[in-house]
Amino acid sequence: MSTTTKMILVLTTLTMISGGLLSYWDGFTRPKIEAYRLQELKKAIKEVLPPNDSYDEIKGKDMTLYVGKKSGEPKPVGIAFEAVGNGFQGKVAIMVGVTPDFSHINAIKILEQIETPGLGTKIVDDPTNKQDRSWFSNQFKNLSVEPQIEVVKNMKPSKPNEIQAITGATISSRSVAKILTDQVNVAKSIYQSKGQ
Amino acid sequence: MARKQASVSYEVIKGLWDENPVLRSLLGLCPTLAVTNSAINGLAMGLATTFVLITSSIIISSVRNIIPNQVRISSFIVVIAAFVTVADRFLAAFYPLISKDLGPYVPLIVVNCIILGRQEAFSAKNSVFRSLLDSSGMSLGFILVLLALGMVREILGSGTLFGITVLGDWFDPWMMMILPPGAFLGLGIFIALANWLNARRAKA
Amino acid sequence: MKLILLFISAAVINNFVLSYFLGICPFVGVSKKISSALSMGMAVTFVMTITAVVTWLIYHLILVPANLEILEYVSFILVISALVQLVEMFVKKVSKPLYETLGIYLPLITTNCAILGLALFSVLRDYEFMESLIFGIGAGAGFTLAIVIMAGIREELELAKVPKPFEGAGITMIVAASLALAFMGFAGLISV
Repeated sequence: MSTTTKMILVLTTLTMISGGLLSYWDGFTRPKIEAYRLQELKKAIKEVLPPNDSYDEIKGKDMTLYVGKKSGEPKPVGIAFEAVGNGFQGKVAIMVGVTPDFSHINAIKILEQIETPGLGTKIVDDPTNKQDRSWFSNQFKNLSVEPQIEVVKNMKPSKPNEIQAITGATISSRSVAKILTDQVNVAKSIYQSKGQ
Repeated sequence: MARKQASVSYEVIKGLWDENPVLRSLLGLCPTLAVTNSAINGLAMGLATTFVLITSSIIISSVRNIIPNQVRISSFIVVIAAFVTVADRFLAAFYPLISKDLGPYVPLIVVNCIILGRQEAFSAKNSVFRSLLDSSGMSLGFILVLLALGMVREILGSGTLFGITVLGDWFDPWMMMILPPGAFLGLGIFIALANWLNARRAKA
Repeated sequence: MKLILLFISAAVINNFVLSYFLGICPFVGVSKKISSALSMGMAVTFVMTITAVVTWLIYHLILVPANLEILEYVSFILVISALVQLVEMFVKKVSKPLYETLGIYLPLITTNCAILGLALFSVLRDYEFMESLIFGIGAGAGFTLAIVIMAGIREELELAKVPKPFEGAGITMIVAASLALAFMGFAGLISV
């Protein structure tokens, strides 16, 4: 057979065999990957909301709200969503739970960040703080977001909407505060237009 | 004049030092720099690359006489990309934390010059058995470099080895070692060391 | 505005070569002279831009609707190798001397991790079409910047006495370490 025919035949056969095998592999691995992703999502939502039995989803333009409900209670216990924005070095993604009126943060969990190791990464884990390595994220528990989250340096917060920055990682700290303030407002408008 | 075929053991051993893919042939530098910020990441990447190198070597040397010359590279690429997809999905499904750490560097195994290089230079011209030996040796050489660099960078940069703290509080980690400058520095020194050792061997 | 920030981020703050270690092979191999480095940089930027567009279209218009995301890597690399062959023919016709200068490194753009890396990042970060395009141009600009700076330094190094074991790749890596360190200073350029 001519070279051209052989070329086409070989490449097509090769691609089809690969395609076929990969489709099988896809069917095998995809459910597992999806299951893991869902498991991690549920875990994160559970961590940031008050005790709840289930959650409803409200899909906004770029954000999905997870409205936590307790069986027997008509009103939601809290609303969780993923807040994303720019940190010092790159993208920061935070799962945040807020009160149904969006006035206070219940808790946060930082999902993704690529901040400077040893400095910016203290927003997740600060080994230099012997009492509480997650002191930074814990500051956000029951924090007021109105009018916005304020960041103070080198002193303890005095107002209900203040948090203390990490020494040497002011920008990372400020970024977290700004991302949360901004995204809480976004979530609020989605909830008010589509929710109850 | 026909080239005398190397011994079976040499086909494997050459990948460890004489023709070490990273330190002597300067191939696969991208993953070597990117995932050696910890020993376990280096090891995982080494194993993933080994899987792809060995499987694609077996396939390509089996069909080497059927593939027309003009579509040689494209055929190799399809085979390599397919196996990389298998490895990537495998990690994502069964070791999701490592998959997340290695990130886009697993699919980048597709363009790892070591793999395409070995297929071009060896598997396309040798029997399945010899190709298997060659790719095993090369893989081992690659894993050793990744592991060594990973260990050095992790110990100096985090004070840990495989996640376990080995240097006490007295050691203030050299953060730079787990960041890009440390990667370049570490690899540069490794390459220089390999060159120096080789020069000494040649003199002896 | 967002696009401008994306461009700056790709070119400088998270430089493909100095932060993500993509494109190291040509970075080490073609950085001996500023002129060849510049040509390489432009060729790579050209291929990157087209790749960004074509792979985006293939992924979002063919693979996703047909539920064939598993073919991402296979299709991307085939597209890239085809594109590079086209660019090779184009350069050969338009400028023979440029073709000679780039030599073997032109077809090697196919295995340049930066090109495939660009396509993969775009999918990973779920960029829209325009974002993908700007990202491609920015990444190419960053690559060109890094490789030209490296060539400038290496040209000067010709006159210096480099320890024998470090000659070639060794000293290039050490220089790259300082460049990477310098570029880290760009962090925080776009944030609060």
